[in-house]
Amino acid sequence: MMDEKVGPSEMIVHLGPQHPMMPGPFRLNAKLRGETVVDSEVEMGWLHKGIEKILENKTYLQGITIVDRICYLAAMTNEEAYVGCVEKLAGIEVPPRAQYIRVIMEELSRIQSHMLGTGEYASFVGFVSMFMYTIRDREDVLSLLDSVSGTRITHSFLRFGGVKDDLPEGFKEDVKRVFANLRKAIDSYEELFSSDDIYRSRTVGIGVLTPEVAKDIGVSGPPLRATGVAFDIRRDEPYLVYPDLDFKVCTRKEGDVYARVQVRLDEIRESMYIIEQCLDQMPQGPLFPEGTAYGRRSPIMRVPAGEVFNRVEDPRGEMGFYMVSDGSDKPYRVKIRGPVYPTLQALPPLIKGVRVADIVAIAGSMDTCTSEVDR
Amino acid sequence: MDANTMIDSLSTQFPDAVFDTKVESKIRIFAKVKPENIKDVCMYLKGNLSFGHLCCEFGIDFPDRNEIEVVYVIGSYDHSVVLTLKALLPRDNPEIESVVSVYWNASWYERETYELFGVKYLNHPDLRPLVLPEDMLGEWPLRKDYKGFPNKTAKNLV
Repeated sequence: MMDEKVGPSEMIVHLGPQHPMMPGPFRLNAKLRGETVVDSEVEMGWLHKGIEKILENKTYLQGITIVDRICYLAAMTNEEAYVGCVEKLAGIEVPPRAQYIRVIMEELSRIQSHMLGTGEYASFVGFVSMFMYTIRDREDVLSLLDSVSGTRITHSFLRFGGVKDDLPEGFKEDVKRVFANLRKAIDSYEELFSSDDIYRSRTVGIGVLTPEVAKDIGVSGPPLRATGVAFDIRRDEPYLVYPDLDFKVCTRKEGDVYARVQVRLDEIRESMYIIEQCLDQMPQGPLFPEGTAYGRRSPIMRVPAGEVFNRVEDPRGEMGFYMVSDGSDKPYRVKIRGPVYPTLQALPPLIKGVRVADIVAIAGSMDTCTSEVDR
Repeated sequence: MDANTMIDSLSTQFPDAVFDTKVESKIRIFAKVKPENIKDVCMYLKGNLSFGHLCCEFGIDFPDRNEIEVVYVIGSYDHSVVLTLKALLPRDNPEIESVVSVYWNASWYERETYELFGVKYLNHPDLRPLVLPEDMLGEWPLRKDYKGFPNKTAKNLV
């Protein structure tokens, strides 16, 4: 807790909750001495929707549309974590084709999230034209998601035991066309970032996290991998068909703001590679386990009593659902463990001693999603 | 070190404090712990078994058993075993030692469990409400007997 007393030549500045340069509505009370942050504290809760309580009052199927709204940029991975919990509790086996479609959709979702994250971040440090570039190219990826699920952002696409729809005709050609452009676009972003002196001076060596500190504060995802720790749930605790796919965990050594953005760009390339492998390897087959009642319209289901913790790799890190079932048609308790929650909590120690202009640079580089922190 | 050795090592170290241990699969283990020993157990887990990553901490309300369970889900950056640790507290006066001094990121999880379930964390550095407005303190909205949901929603006010 921040000490409210201010010394001579000190003042407290309230940033947010409605600040144009904040990555979502949270309030940062920063105590400044001149331009330097001496102490700070984060206040959150402006987006608290009570999703954990709402889920207790909805049937399992209704829950799918609710978990989409935890964070609209990672709707697909939120669904995967939730649906995976129910599948583990009820012992449902997902057929291989549906697993491949899920991986494709989740990786597309990761690409669009990283693209918005990169663009938004660039605009936080005053590079607004980059935001326009990434938004333009992200729209193609959203169209791909749209062509499969019928919605751009909140998909409600997964079902227990499978997926709602098969891939549309010509999807492979569409992917090929979009990815050819996207590869060029990512290369051009990287070149723009590395050649811009102002951008480099705002990001290189700023907000450095060491591996020890990052582990201590519980960070996961790109901010952790930018410090050189190769921690990725897709590889460490594989789910779906990830063990059959070839991909590398992108890491950087520096741990600064620049490295975090670089890790995201590398991961976009890696995701594209994963999707192409999936499209080549995908078997034909049913979308739901055969001989069961599971289908596009899920049956009214009672999930066997039990408890399960299921975690997946979100675009931002480790997304985990802890679900307790008492054998009825609604979950007894659902705990949502979001990846940004520990990161936002770690903001005050991270920005201690930096200048005011760097607060946004550091907060934005974590790709904070306040909607997911508050839930 | 695999899941079985870990759980054996834990129950050898704390024969009285840790009970009901279970190996659910190769990557999931489960144990219950006496509330007064939670901090020692966490220190041992972090120091000796490299459980350095607190995934989350939260409460579950069981009005039938008159108990609140505080659950610690602890993972690691070095191996893929995840431990679920449970402490059972009485529902009328739930109190437990804070683990912020062991796991730094437990701070917000404990503040949230406090305002949603009313679990008092002893020796927590800063136990204030986190997501709820301050005037809701004492309603403990995530307990099962909370009447505000969904009765206070707009539809029911009309």
